[in-house]
Amino acid sequence: MDIQAATTGGRTCAVGDRLSLCAREISVKLLLRQYIVDPREVSWKSGQTEGITFQCQVFLSGADGGPEALRFRFDPCPRVYAHMHLTSQFQLLLGGTMDFPKATMKLRPVAVHYADHNLPYGPFSTGEGHDMLVLHPRQGGLVTMADRTARRQIYLAGRQLVGMDREREWLPAAGLEGVRCKFLLPPGSGPQAIMLECPCNCVIAAPVPTFGRYEVVLSGSAVFSGKPVEAPGLRYVAGDEEPTPIRCGPAGASLILLSFDEDAMAGGLGDDQLSRSAAEAIERAI
Amino acid sequence: MANQADTPQSAPPFRVIMFADFICPYCYIGQERMEQLARDYDVQPIWRPHWLHPETPPEGAPFPHNVERARATAEWLKEMAPEKAACMRLPNKMQCSFFAFEAAEFAHDRGRALPFTSAVYDALWVEGKDIARMATLQEAAARAGLDAEEMGRALRERTYMERAMNAVAASRAAGIRSTPTYILGRTAIKGWHYYEVFQTVMEKQGMLPRTQSSTRRG
Repeated sequence: MDIQAATTGGRTCAVGDRLSLCAREISVKLLLRQYIVDPREVSWKSGQTEGITFQCQVFLSGADGGPEALRFRFDPCPRVYAHMHLTSQFQLLLGGTMDFPKATMKLRPVAVHYADHNLPYGPFSTGEGHDMLVLHPRQGGLVTMADRTARRQIYLAGRQLVGMDREREWLPAAGLEGVRCKFLLPPGSGPQAIMLECPCNCVIAAPVPTFGRYEVVLSGSAVFSGKPVEAPGLRYVAGDEEPTPIRCGPAGASLILLSFDEDAMAGGLGDDQLSRSAAEAIERAI
Repeated sequence: MANQADTPQSAPPFRVIMFADFICPYCYIGQERMEQLARDYDVQPIWRPHWLHPETPPEGAPFPHNVERARATAEWLKEMAPEKAACMRLPNKMQCSFFAFEAAEFAHDRGRALPFTSAVYDALWVEGKDIARMATLQEAAARAGLDAEEMGRALRERTYMERAMNAVAASRAAGIRSTPTYILGRTAIKGWHYYEVFQTVMEKQGMLPRTQSSTRRG
């Protein structure tokens, strides 16, 4: 299936990345870019890489220079090989298990795994019922660490962060009646991951997403800029303006807001050999 | 001039230091990086102790029972260092590494620290020996080309105890928190990494491999 065709069906709005210059302050203001995906509108396809088999939905292909968002359901696999991507990445585990032997890190849903650009992770194993979103600010490619040349591009100071729903306490959300929140990756760690449990028709105004933010519906439904979305649908927003508030559906919604930091500006696919190989690898896989 | 490109002759030698503990399996497989650097670059890597479990008595202590963690570690080692992992034995108790630190100081003074520390790792991780035992350390000394009898005397008289204690304190004072930690010139590398990462860090600081530097000099 053509990736672009699959993606176009799910994307409803792309304002573009025009720049607005304020001459007096000599500042650059990035207009808001927004992408909305309802998983019901995106078809599934089968894929495989290095003997790993999976089902995949291409939520956002990133082909227009925008974000890349993929949903994977890996078949149980004892060893997903060590690899890295050329952009920062959130992995959001929605179902099943992901076990990383190095730090005896056992991810159980809902879990967030964040890695900076060019930071290898794995190997890891996946268990029954696996379901996850892989979220990049731009196309990230796929680089196996078996590639010795690629190892030269590892970002040594890169961060790997993990947060799990079951390990955090709910807190009342200040200023939002009936809303509870949980910091999976708390403010101060750079990238942030905040879960919100919201009552029916609740309206959430999230802050300016300077480096980009994925807003994912974990359960229930939500309306993004007039478009209703069911779990695990999402909106990606980036820019120096506030996006329209999120309106939760009639049965309420659980949301998770995944905010990138400066690392989202680094890396990405270029014209070099590594980028070409990384882009080809992900295309072959999905 | 050595292989440090564009560096005045008066520049201090390029530092390559590994902070490690013999009882850490990641240090065992990470020791190979020091051997590779010594082979490929004009550097003399220094092994420095970072004492992970000072609470362990000389006779050793039982491991906290964590089968899953042990299995996970073994899996990771198998993936990242398959050849070494195939020969590795996971010890059945937590061993005391301090006497081996003293012995490493002895080896350091005789310019044999790298082969000696490698021999100690092999004794523990391949042969399953207790590195708190004098006989084990003397065997390692002999393999590294050291005088085993002389080392035995130094250990019995605790000649290097204070130096080893100071080295452990210096590691903590330097902010080392985990093993292995490598210092390559101005860059710290925490944890196990691919050798290509080390090569990149070396070359970014102007250190060229012997082959390239001799070509340039020639």
